[in-house]
Amino acid sequence: MHRKANKRVRTARPKTRHFSPPPRLEPGAPTDLDLMRAIQAADPEALSQLYDRYNGILKALILRVIHNEAEADDLLQEIFMEIWNQAKNFSAQKGKPLGWMVTLARRRAIDGLRKKQAYARAEERLQNETEQQPDAWVHNATEEEIALSDTRTLIRKVISGLPPAQQQAIDLAFFRGMSQREIAAKTNTPLGTVKTRLELGLKKIYDGLKELRDEL
Amino acid sequence: MNFEEFQNQSRLYVIGSLESEELEEFEKARKKFGKKAEDFITACYGLHEAFALSLRPAKASTAIKERLMSMVRARKQV
Repeated sequence: MHRKANKRVRTARPKTRHFSPPPRLEPGAPTDLDLMRAIQAADPEALSQLYDRYNGILKALILRVIHNEAEADDLLQEIFMEIWNQAKNFSAQKGKPLGWMVTLARRRAIDGLRKKQAYARAEERLQNETEQQPDAWVHNATEEEIALSDTRTLIRKVISGLPPAQQQAIDLAFFRGMSQREIAAKTNTPLGTVKTRLELGLKKIYDGLKELRDEL
Repeated sequence: MNFEEFQNQSRLYVIGSLESEELEEFEKARKKFGKKAEDFITACYGLHEAFALSLRPAKASTAIKERLMSMVRARKQV
């Protein structure tokens, strides 16, 4: 089964530059692109391998949005089902498989949050978390157990270099799907300031990750 | 809008943070800058990946994968 994906022809990487270094794979292991191509060819084992590789990252993302373990598990299953069903729409020219999966998962998680009307409850939990850990990104940066740990530590280093107000604005925009106006209302900050915080913060992260990628 | 402004807007665009009144101007600039704009937007989507990789992975229930794979295999057999 594993072998089946291994046999697939490796294709050239897309020309578009991307930020994060790829996860370290065992020698001979299929790349993410190999697995996506196998999924496009309806190979369930490729989906199984992709799940093993990324379920933890995608679940962490979903949890960060909806803050509910059981709902996150259900959504994770739905998202991998969507990956299976929508794999034909993936194009290596437009980015890496992980980026595509994360975009899909984030959208579903934010939709799920709104549909289930859990917004108010999650808001309250987020508020509590924010009060307890004003810098959750930094707070979570502890010792790592898995192969992606170095990547995560480096990315966190870039993010934690931002002023807390910029981190908060980006956190609310990315993980909560809030508009600039919603962020302004939530943080009692002028709209123009929110826009500036988002622009500056995202630029610093973008530039920081670019440097990080160039160094690796 | 010059290209530097477009770059700032692109980073907001990919995380869904452009307000509706900004979107129209963004789309005009996107057309104006053509391929260069599309390449930059594609690169900006790497931010999604980076944000996800910044999180500590969470453990999923073991039943999830079993359910998923049985659904996929059942669908494939149809």
